Amino acid sequence: MPPRDACDMIIAMPTRRPDLPGRRFFLRATGVRFALPVLDSLTANVLGSGLAVSALTAHAATARPMRMVAVGNAFGFYPPQFFPAESGAAYDAPPLLEPIARDHRADISVFSGLDHGVKGGHFAVHSFLSGVRQVDAKGMPDGNISVDQRAAETVGGATRFPSLTLGSEEGLHGGCMMCWTRSGTRVNPIQGPRELFRKLFVSESEAEQARTRDRLTLQGSILDAVNGDANSLKGRLGSSDRRKLEEYFTSVRDVEKVLELRQQWAGIPKPPAPMPEPENRGLVNDIPVLYDLIALALQTDSTRIATLEIAGGFEAAVLGVRKEYHALSHHGQVQQSIDMLVKLERHQTEQFARFLTRLKSIEDGDGSLLDHTMVLFGSGMGNGNAHTNLNLPLVLAGGGFRHGQYHAFPAAGLNRQPLSNLYLSMLQRFGVEQQRFALSTGTLRGI
Amino acid sequence: MTAAVLAFALAADPAAGFLNAFCVSCHGEKAQMGNRRFDRPPVDLDAAARRIESGTMPPKAARQPSAAERQAFLAHLAKQGPGHIALRRLNRREYLNTIGDLFGIPMDQFDPTSRFPRDQQYAHMDNIGAALVTSGYLLEQYLEAAEAVIAKVLPENPPPAPRAWLFKDEFRQQKELDGARRANKLTQYMSLFEHPRTPHYEGAYAPLLAFPEGVPYDGFYRVKVQVEALHRSHPYDPKLLGMDPDAPFRFGIVAGNSRAGYLHHEQPIQPLLAETVLEDGGPYWLTFEVRLDAGYQPRFIFPNGMNDVRKVFSRFARQFPELLPEGQRSVAPGIVPGRIAMMKYGRIPQIRIHQVEIYGPVDAPAIPDSRRLIYGNRPFAPERIREIVARFATRAYRRPASGEEIDRLVAIADKRRAAGASPEDALKDALKAALCSPSFLYLSAAQQKDRLDPYALATRLSYFLWSTMPDQELLDHAATGAILTDPVLRTQTRRLLASPRASAFVDGFLDSWLNLRSLGDMPPDREQFGAYYWDDLQASMKTETRMLMRHLLEENKSLHDFLDARYSFLNKPLARLYGMDGAIPSVGGHAFRRVELTDPRRGGLLGHGSILTVSANGIETSPVTRGVWVLENIFGAPPPPPPDDVPALEPDARGAKSVRDLLTKHRDSPACMSCHRSIDPPGFALENFDPIGRWRSQYPNGAPIDSSGQLPTGEKFSDIAGLREAVAARKPEFTRFLTSRLLTYACGRNFGPADRPHLDAVTAALAGKGTGLRDLVELVALSEPFRTN
Repeated sequence: MPPRDACDMIIAMPTRRPDLPGRRFFLRATGVRFALPVLDSLTANVLGSGLAVSALTAHAATARPMRMVAVGNAFGFYPPQFFPAESGAAYDAPPLLEPIARDHRADISVFSGLDHGVKGGHFAVHSFLSGVRQVDAKGMPDGNISVDQRAAETVGGATRFPSLTLGSEEGLHGGCMMCWTRSGTRVNPIQGPRELFRKLFVSESEAEQARTRDRLTLQGSILDAVNGDANSLKGRLGSSDRRKLEEYFTSVRDVEKVLELRQQWAGIPKPPAPMPEPENRGLVNDIPVLYDLIALALQTDSTRIATLEIAGGFEAAVLGVRKEYHALSHHGQVQQSIDMLVKLERHQTEQFARFLTRLKSIEDGDGSLLDHTMVLFGSGMGNGNAHTNLNLPLVLAGGGFRHGQYHAFPAAGLNRQPLSNLYLSMLQRFGVEQQRFALSTGTLRGI
Repeated sequence: MTAAVLAFALAADPAAGFLNAFCVSCHGEKAQMGNRRFDRPPVDLDAAARRIESGTMPPKAARQPSAAERQAFLAHLAKQGPGHIALRRLNRREYLNTIGDLFGIPMDQFDPTSRFPRDQQYAHMDNIGAALVTSGYLLEQYLEAAEAVIAKVLPENPPPAPRAWLFKDEFRQQKELDGARRANKLTQYMSLFEHPRTPHYEGAYAPLLAFPEGVPYDGFYRVKVQVEALHRSHPYDPKLLGMDPDAPFRFGIVAGNSRAGYLHHEQPIQPLLAETVLEDGGPYWLTFEVRLDAGYQPRFIFPNGMNDVRKVFSRFARQFPELLPEGQRSVAPGIVPGRIAMMKYGRIPQIRIHQVEIYGPVDAPAIPDSRRLIYGNRPFAPERIREIVARFATRAYRRPASGEEIDRLVAIADKRRAAGASPEDALKDALKAALCSPSFLYLSAAQQKDRLDPYALATRLSYFLWSTMPDQELLDHAATGAILTDPVLRTQTRRLLASPRASAFVDGFLDSWLNLRSLGDMPPDREQFGAYYWDDLQASMKTETRMLMRHLLEENKSLHDFLDARYSFLNKPLARLYGMDGAIPSVGGHAFRRVELTDPRRGGLLGHGSILTVSANGIETSPVTRGVWVLENIFGAPPPPPPDDVPALEPDARGAKSVRDLLTKHRDSPACMSCHRSIDPPGFALENFDPIGRWRSQYPNGAPIDSSGQLPTGEKFSDIAGLREAVAARKPEFTRFLTSRLLTYACGRNFGPADRPHLDAVTAALAGKGTGLRDLVELVALSEPFRTN
């Protein structure tokens, strides 16, 4: 790819194409601003592994956009070794928190006493980022949309990927299942670093691009036809079935938007690959690579929102632990099991700390990428041994929040705050104009 | 709680008026008795309706609604609730079956739905219209799937001439084994050691690594393989191997695809293509004919192989040095030297594969069946586009396609041709559109005089009993309208039930009623429950429960046998799990057979491994979890969720306190007692079964198990046999509950309080006939709700 000027490119979009019916979605802005990555200095160490490659720096004349990353696991963190004893700024970090607090104390907030007030063990883990269990979604104005997807709705076509969801279909009850759309469907995750790498960096050949554009055109025509079928069908339905069919109409409109965005992006080259294509080597080994790729995705403005689910495929044996992860989470207070469990969990907090270091090392406007990325780390499982989803382990880093404290919020009583309050704070910081998220009662006090 | 949410949830809903007047003072902002509140979403209207209907709420001391108010509330809920969404889309398994039948292709190696989101369920049911959401993401996947399906069923090229591939002299296996095989110069054959579900896959699959491209064309292939069955008798401890030394080796072929991941690992799509039993000795030749999709290859497996060969290589080398040649008897520590020594000199049971010959495709028709189904017996011609599209849409939509629908599809073909596509490619694009149409994706709920029209009824019957599109005979009865009459509907119900395809109903219904599809979602711990893996118990457990239901259907036996059958269907591994080892011989032991039960601890669903495993978490059991499971799925009376302010029970395996101690304390509180007196007793009775359904009399920490209890209705019992008797005394309740589950599954909608008369009608009709399960299914198919929306 030839080097490009480090200026923004304005893609002119017609406000209306004559051959398309009015119900089609158009980006309302007169232009969409695409910050294109450029080959910049050749000195930076893009990967923590020491692989020296040319750095990618996303340039933009305007203020840096806010980004959001959320990381969750399925079985939580052993509470006595996660939560500090004393609240405030001078807390002693217990073993699980220590890797994160060691280098990033000033850039993180640690919370206790926050949760969604839900029950259901592994199934309630699915509500980690939404605050609403799938079974309760129907009663909620926004269903069980998760905080990342709510934020992604506002990104629109500004980035190639409105959001990136990384995870796996494996694991207990489908794994973490953290990300949900407004219509109540789970966002299927990208599985493994190889697929993510290809999405981010491998461009199609010109012939493939032509085929892609042709297919997108065909799919557009198909949507027109099936929308007609749905209209005919609607006339023959009763009122509640008509409401049900609305889902189909909404889906057609949603896919039209997606096709529109794909058409726009089809002709724009992807950023050059800053590393060789990674192999999938099992989740334990893949976690650092996935973190590196997330950092690159944010840095190249390929997306502004990413989530990572740590669940299925986390093989304890890779870390030299001879019992299974799920079995260990039911430790039954047996010390030997607790020790092994903590070893598996500590690996996760160490890798997360490394990710924060990485974000901090990347320049972004007048600060670091971490300054412009809010990163949530935790789990929808509060205590794996008891299967409770209360008092969730949570760390928030970056994003320009007031950090440095361990906030021990009251778990009950009048001053209890739901975890959704934190999500509302995050959404507002992200730029979403919304006064409520799930069962929030306001923004979170103290950050 | 913001006022906005309240307003949203309640203002538009007349039920809110009733709740506010009679419920919210105890279940609202000020008090949340029974851990319920009805003043903010999510409101559990079903729970409210159950109590209002049964008259247990509001409590006697409180202000009572009039009979008319009660009725109006229930009727309103019945109308507004999810129950009355009749429109439903295909779920994932129905989509797959339907594609297979629409195009006449086998789907065992072709899954266009692999990126579909999981279908949402309603009380474990996977076919409830209200829960089956359509999203933009799903519609995108429908578009992608349509591309894949059409490419598959109308291939560009004719079948290639048959050819042969020969593999011999030099085989590669996975890296770990290859080191030892090369060191010993033993690469002229492959060795299978393990069953296909092992943790490390060390000789669990024997793929042809020199054949990564797989076969070139969908079709039948002759697979000749030269095998050798070695060391069935060996000097080692059979317990360490996890094998039954009396059982002859089994040998199988599964499909594999190098693009789907490592060929020597389990893959997401790997149907069993052939299986046989081996004579000891060899080498000798076996010949199979197997069907493979393009890109797939045959992989060989040892279904009753050992559990984890890696663990025992070094151990056996040190334990039996005399089996090694002199000078090599002291094996260095570590896995590698042990593996090298044992590969050459050990006597570990194994199947060796010396040569493989593949020939095909054999007898591939020049025109694939799928093409014939779309084009009829004449070749494609551009002027046939409209006719082909019309015929296809009529089959795909399970009713005659309308002129408008056909016009829209033809318009796509026209547009594509105008853009430069060939006429046949343009036609293909029109077919893809049909596969994304709501007329294909949603089951018709079209009405005619307040009842389902004939095509909608034929479709509902077909998806109820076959989980796929109606066949020609059903469509013919729809075309004449005869399906609307009782005799024809009854005959067709019987015909569908008698077909082997009714296994889709048995599997789908049991998955939905008993949540059997979740078996394995919480995999039992490999250390504690090795047999679950080496004996393939997961599959066997499902088979046992399915065979019971199939038996009740085929013989029209009493549905109460679900509760207390004195027989079951077992194979050797299950019999072993149940402590009934002697009931089945080792030779041929993997086949299922009917076994009469003499042990009072087994019998009925509550003794099935499937039920006992799916109601535990693979690690430990909880009387609360199992108790709730029994209330939900056998009694049909799910308890309310636990209140917020009660700390959860935290398991403590160190032995200080038993679960019963913890629960007894818990039940001291009257608030807890109200639910736990129903939940705990059946849970305690099941404590004698470990997380995979094996009998135990003490917990792993040595504490004894007390399985006695008393139901809230007064019956005392001392163990599971006593509980079974108490449960059997509640047969009418069970009949009613099973009927409601069947109606829910059959109609694809939830049954609410307003459906009570329908339920009464079916159970009353059944009472006139007895308690036969097939009678009940027929009555459901002939019932009013099944024939209306």
